Amino acid sequence: MSGIHLFVPMLHRWDAVGEHTRSLRDLLLAAGVESRIYTEKPDPYTLDETRDYLGYEQDAAPGDVLVYQMATRSRMAGWLAGRPEQVVVNYHNITPSGYFAPWNNWIARHQVGALRELEVLAPAAALGIGVSEFDAAELRAAGCADVVVIPVANVELPPVEPDPVAVEALRSGSVGGAGRGEGPRWLSVGRLAPNKCHEDTIAALFVARATTSPDARLTIVGSPSEPHYARALRQYASALGVVGAVDFVTRLTPGELAARYVTADVLVMLSEHEGFGVPLVEAMSYGLPVVAYAAGAVAEVVGEAGVLLGEKGPRRVADEVAALLADPGRREALVAAGRRRPAALGLDRAGSDLVAALQGVADRRTGCAGGPVPGAPLHPGGPPSH
Amino acid sequence: MTTEGDATPVDPRDALPDDERALLEAFDRLRPQGSIRWSFDDAIRRLSEPDEVPGRPAGWGGLPADLWERGRGARASERVLGDVIRYVAQNLTEHTDRAVAESQAMAAQEVDDLRRDVLDGLRFLSARVDRLESAADPLGLQAGELVLPDVGVADWLGAAGGWVTGRTDLPVVVGELGDPGLLEAVAGSGATVEGVDPRGAVVWAVDPAVPGRTGRVDVVLAEVVDHLGELPHASRGGAVLVGCVDRASLADKVRLVDEARRVVAPGGTVALLVTDQAAWDACLEPVERDLLAGRPLHPESWTALLTRRGLSGAKWMRPTVGTVHAVVVEVRP
Repeated sequence: MSGIHLFVPMLHRWDAVGEHTRSLRDLLLAAGVESRIYTEKPDPYTLDETRDYLGYEQDAAPGDVLVYQMATRSRMAGWLAGRPEQVVVNYHNITPSGYFAPWNNWIARHQVGALRELEVLAPAAALGIGVSEFDAAELRAAGCADVVVIPVANVELPPVEPDPVAVEALRSGSVGGAGRGEGPRWLSVGRLAPNKCHEDTIAALFVARATTSPDARLTIVGSPSEPHYARALRQYASALGVVGAVDFVTRLTPGELAARYVTADVLVMLSEHEGFGVPLVEAMSYGLPVVAYAAGAVAEVVGEAGVLLGEKGPRRVADEVAALLADPGRREALVAAGRRRPAALGLDRAGSDLVAALQGVADRRTGCAGGPVPGAPLHPGGPPSH
Repeated sequence: MTTEGDATPVDPRDALPDDERALLEAFDRLRPQGSIRWSFDDAIRRLSEPDEVPGRPAGWGGLPADLWERGRGARASERVLGDVIRYVAQNLTEHTDRAVAESQAMAAQEVDDLRRDVLDGLRFLSARVDRLESAADPLGLQAGELVLPDVGVADWLGAAGGWVTGRTDLPVVVGELGDPGLLEAVAGSGATVEGVDPRGAVVWAVDPAVPGRTGRVDVVLAEVVDHLGELPHASRGGAVLVGCVDRASLADKVRLVDEARRVVAPGGTVALLVTDQAAWDACLEPVERDLLAGRPLHPESWTALLTRRGLSGAKWMRPTVGTVHAVVVEVRP
């Protein structure tokens, strides 16, 4: 029986690409489509969910569609480019190597290699799927002729209920050093990777505490994907004397993460390179106002529902956060707009759009009618306007 | 699309005021790129996971395409011997390919074994270095994590400006900045002053534009010894060091002296304001006193250390009322 199988270099939990891949597999299975996840390297947390990609040869069936979740370099890319099956590139963006080079040359070289692989794979792909218009533009530039925009499929709508125990603990201040006290609670969510620029948020917090909000606190939720960078963030917080006001947190359950969103006062995201920005959508879903640097796909995703900054000097960020929190009317307006934003982005139908697009590719080979017309935009009138 | 590797991202900091840039640049200095450790890790990764895998040589491509144009002899050869040549060539190609593949596999195994042994050796040495480094400063506490005593330098504010008048044509380094009066006193000499401190709050508190200040003041958020290490040889007119000289370990004290001697131009002065040992023990909280990597040296010990590191002729000046001694030495050619 033919299927739509997913290929990802490693399947990580608590990671945007990993969770998207798992969600997509579940959606395909729910639609009655056979779907397995193949990886180049196993992850101990997802070992029982994946197979080695070289073993696909034994599983292959005529009419299979192979979907590559592309965000980094992998031997799978070249292997997929040589496969006879139809290949779809689900592109999550490749972080420019310049961000990693000062920290980890190995990752930087990987990112350069990933771009080369994209240039090989994109022209051969039956379909390119960008999770944002920002990503779609990169796919087209790499030579992908047929590109559609469908947002990520792993945003829970309606959002996951916050863990009540975690909410209570955070509100009472019994957990999380940076959660204690009465001052404004800043939240930043994203891997501890250089392009996320968490240092800018720490510097802004430092200035806020020195000027407008002496009790402001920051919680950074994210796994340390680059150890040198993660260590430097802690050193930096120490040097600025805000180590007690900054809390680094990782490995949260969805309910615990939700608790962080509902107990914070503002999401501050100063990342310089975002292919989508799932935390932005999560924050808006939970009614948390957003202050973000307008880089990559951030402006597309936030739209008019948050404070978008064209520059992110620490003083400017601190002032914007203080002004937002001091103006309840403005805050409420942004929160209301934010709650509407996921639907406006098409996130409520992203899963079904994605399945339909992939089934459309599968139908091209079999000549079945019914799926979307190959190459036609999935959203009537063009891609979503985010 | 983004052309990474070729394009440098636009630095959003370009338009920021100096004090905000100083804050953010302090983080840049934590980047390991260029350090021995970074280069070592990169080299090990390159050895462990090389980018390129040597490919198999191309097989025989058949008879030349222009054989027909080569004349009657060639045409005859093609007709008569073509099939034979083709058969031999195919067999030869297959045998050669197999031999190449087998020899490559054997060579790769040999190289892999050797590489694994070398990597094991390097990793062992690296782990030993890590252990030795962490043994020197097992807690690795940052200055910002500790409540350090503000060293009272009031005794020396009048004299400090005079110490650096030898080379006012070059900037003077003042670090650390616990007492802002010291910065102003040195700036009063007319020299441009680089104020250095590893504590963000202290750096942020420095007013870059005090009315009536004679010299210009720049501030840098960094450990003093690291900042000195980045400066060019003989590029500074003097160095007034306080605070860092007390809490640094002995190895870092030596490094401070060496770096100061290197960056201060001949004719300039290195001045150390060092806390009296008894006063240090009395004023510090137990946690800081116990966990800091170092404690003050006696001024005579400083004089001896300076001499051993090539700065002879240091003068020890006792405080009149405070608890801070001055040890001042001129850098000679």
